Amino acid sequence: MAENIETASYDALVIGAGIAGGEAALNLANNGFKVLLVEKDLSIGGKMILLSKVFPTLDCSACITTPKVSEISRHPGIKIFTGTEVKKIQKKSENNFEAIVVKAPRYVIEEDCTGCQLCEQACPVVVRDQYQYNLVGRKAAFIPFSIASPRVAAIDIENCTLCGACEKVCPTKCIDFTMEAVEHHVNIGTVIVATGFRLFDPLKIPRYGYGLYKNVLTSMEMERQLAPTRPFNTVLRPGDGKVPDKLAYVLCTGSRDATVGNPICSQICCMYSIKQAQLLMGALPMADVTIYYLNIRSFGKGFEEFYEQAKGMGVNFVKGKIGKITEKENGNLILRYEDINESVVKESEHDMVILSVGVMPNPDAGGFFGEGELKLDPFSFVHQTDLLGSPPETSIRGVFVAGTASGPMDIPDSILSAGAASSEAISYLNRKQ
Amino acid sequence: MTAINTEFGKELSKFGAFDFNACYNCGTCTAVCSLSTEEDSFPREMIRFSVLGLEDEIKCSLKPWLCYYCGECTTHCPQTAEPGELMMSLRRWLTSVYDWTGLSGLLYRSLPATITAMTLTALAVIAYAFYSNLELEKIMHTGHIFEMVAIASVFAVILLPNLIRMWYFIILKPGIRVPFKNYATGLLDLIVHMFTQKRTLGCDDSQVRWFEHLILVFGYLGLLFTTIFLDWFSSESTFIIVLGYVVSIIIFTVTVIFASERISKKRESTRKSQPSDWMFVAWLFMMGLSAFAVRLFIDLGILQSNIWLYLAHMIILVQWALVIVPFGKWTHFLYRSFAMYFDAIRKD
Repeated sequence: MAENIETASYDALVIGAGIAGGEAALNLANNGFKVLLVEKDLSIGGKMILLSKVFPTLDCSACITTPKVSEISRHPGIKIFTGTEVKKIQKKSENNFEAIVVKAPRYVIEEDCTGCQLCEQACPVVVRDQYQYNLVGRKAAFIPFSIASPRVAAIDIENCTLCGACEKVCPTKCIDFTMEAVEHHVNIGTVIVATGFRLFDPLKIPRYGYGLYKNVLTSMEMERQLAPTRPFNTVLRPGDGKVPDKLAYVLCTGSRDATVGNPICSQICCMYSIKQAQLLMGALPMADVTIYYLNIRSFGKGFEEFYEQAKGMGVNFVKGKIGKITEKENGNLILRYEDINESVVKESEHDMVILSVGVMPNPDAGGFFGEGELKLDPFSFVHQTDLLGSPPETSIRGVFVAGTASGPMDIPDSILSAGAASSEAISYLNRKQ
Repeated sequence: MTAINTEFGKELSKFGAFDFNACYNCGTCTAVCSLSTEEDSFPREMIRFSVLGLEDEIKCSLKPWLCYYCGECTTHCPQTAEPGELMMSLRRWLTSVYDWTGLSGLLYRSLPATITAMTLTALAVIAYAFYSNLELEKIMHTGHIFEMVAIASVFAVILLPNLIRMWYFIILKPGIRVPFKNYATGLLDLIVHMFTQKRTLGCDDSQVRWFEHLILVFGYLGLLFTTIFLDWFSSESTFIIVLGYVVSIIIFTVTVIFASERISKKRESTRKSQPSDWMFVAWLFMMGLSAFAVRLFIDLGILQSNIWLYLAHMIILVQWALVIVPFGKWTHFLYRSFAMYFDAIRKD
């Protein structure tokens, strides 16, 4: 790849263009700094852009994210690289980092694509749509999702048959199969790590039957079914397409559980489950929704009222963690649990089960710098060296952390954290020797 | 108003309980337990009682005996509070509660006390041997008489009163009214559970564990029967001699399997062995092996010149009969089956 090296310099490198990274990049750029915003995915916006509504206000998530995303996209001070991974960052001296980032080929010339979707129609290959959390299919030539930014096509080369159908129909001739990865060597003054989180993989708890029982979903799959850009335009159980009427939420799936290596609270699952339950009460007025919980942690502003509101709407709250799930022949699920208030083991039948999966660290963060340079905390989130005095600071001077890269938190906290990280980064840049 | 007794946790830890205070009451243990039912939900309730130190509630509960320790609860406990091991410790503790002499508790709590008891019994046997001028025939005769007397007196003086105490805690103290006829109709349950331990089959793990245990129980009862009632060591009947060899081989082979499982710690239930568990397995093994060797030496005609072997066998036997059977892990044979009996008669 020696022939594909480009060099440039920026004031700041922001890794991850989710809500935290985006906010940090915007703050830096608005203060006159040149920012390189690197995103591994094909679109910026992170997980928030895929959500339905946000707690505890029930505002539309996309309606908050999309204006912010378009502001980021058209800001003259921000250069966005999507489909790009950070390979290596080296600190030369204060205010002087050298980063190598690799932009994978999209096989579409971004500047020329109009997002007309003709390639999508022409493409004969159908694969699972990861942006709809595998609930529906997409083509191998595709626009990631309707509110993606940039809203341009990409070729999923792993599944592409190279039939050339897309190339023939593309009106701007922007599809280019000869594209190769480009390595960018950039000089930068400061780094913000906003690599976000991973969702817990429920396959690690086989007794819940995820992947085996079709009507056991993750909360993110349910989130997609409730979003404005949802795949089915209603809530359906994946097993047989039936509209569910007795749903259950299993809280603390992969959180506060030492057996799966994640003993800490994910901080968001109680509230997003209560939010989804309220949305389900609206979407399916006849449905019963039960939330099985250990403790409801409604600690934030307006959270307790939000919880009370759900109870008032008729959401059923049962104290007890689900021990195991078994499937009946008709696809319904039997949940076995101990009703803690009665000290009695019980079984209940539901036709759809949603596992409220927890927040796991993104292992990418530790790999950008030299071995052990960017310290991680015992749970593999980025270690905050001065948690109370200056939360964005990391073990490397000039590298700051924003959002869930430092630990589980909700959207307002992520944005606050990004604000703190960007102002720390600005102070660092202005303190130039 | 019940007072919280935090001292109880410290007491239980002497019986092997682990970090059960870590429990955050999610109920996963109860929900994954295949023996837990709507009428009898455990182990979480027992953990809660232990944390709060509600001794009286635990004394009057059969739940520790309804658990057959497959270890699923411990495997899935999100707080690694080891609920399975707590149930095991409660069984040890209950054994000491039922025992009116208080010696069970002493032996469970203190390894030095156990070693002292074992040493004293061994010394007594050796002293007797010298007192009898090391006459093999006389010692063997005493050994045979001892077995019968020991069984009868240990049962009458220790085990029967302890079972009555258990009955008092389970039935009388909580004020459960049991029709008299239930005591008779429940006897079948008692016999079945005593000889088959069939409840273990309800556990989720492999049934191999149940089968090994069953074989060992029959081997043990077989050896007891052959040596005492058929007088194996003096018998001339080929049938009895072969039977004795077979049951003693069963005992020492199965105990080797048991011991290797405790060493390899592959199963949740064998990961945390206490001295009392080790002693039970070790003495069973030595009893089987030494009995086998004694009879072999008799058949080879070399026992007379190897009197030490019979003495070793007798020491093991006396330690077994006077320490392990009345005050040690052996009692689970009775308490487990009587727990099923009391459970059946109070539910009918």
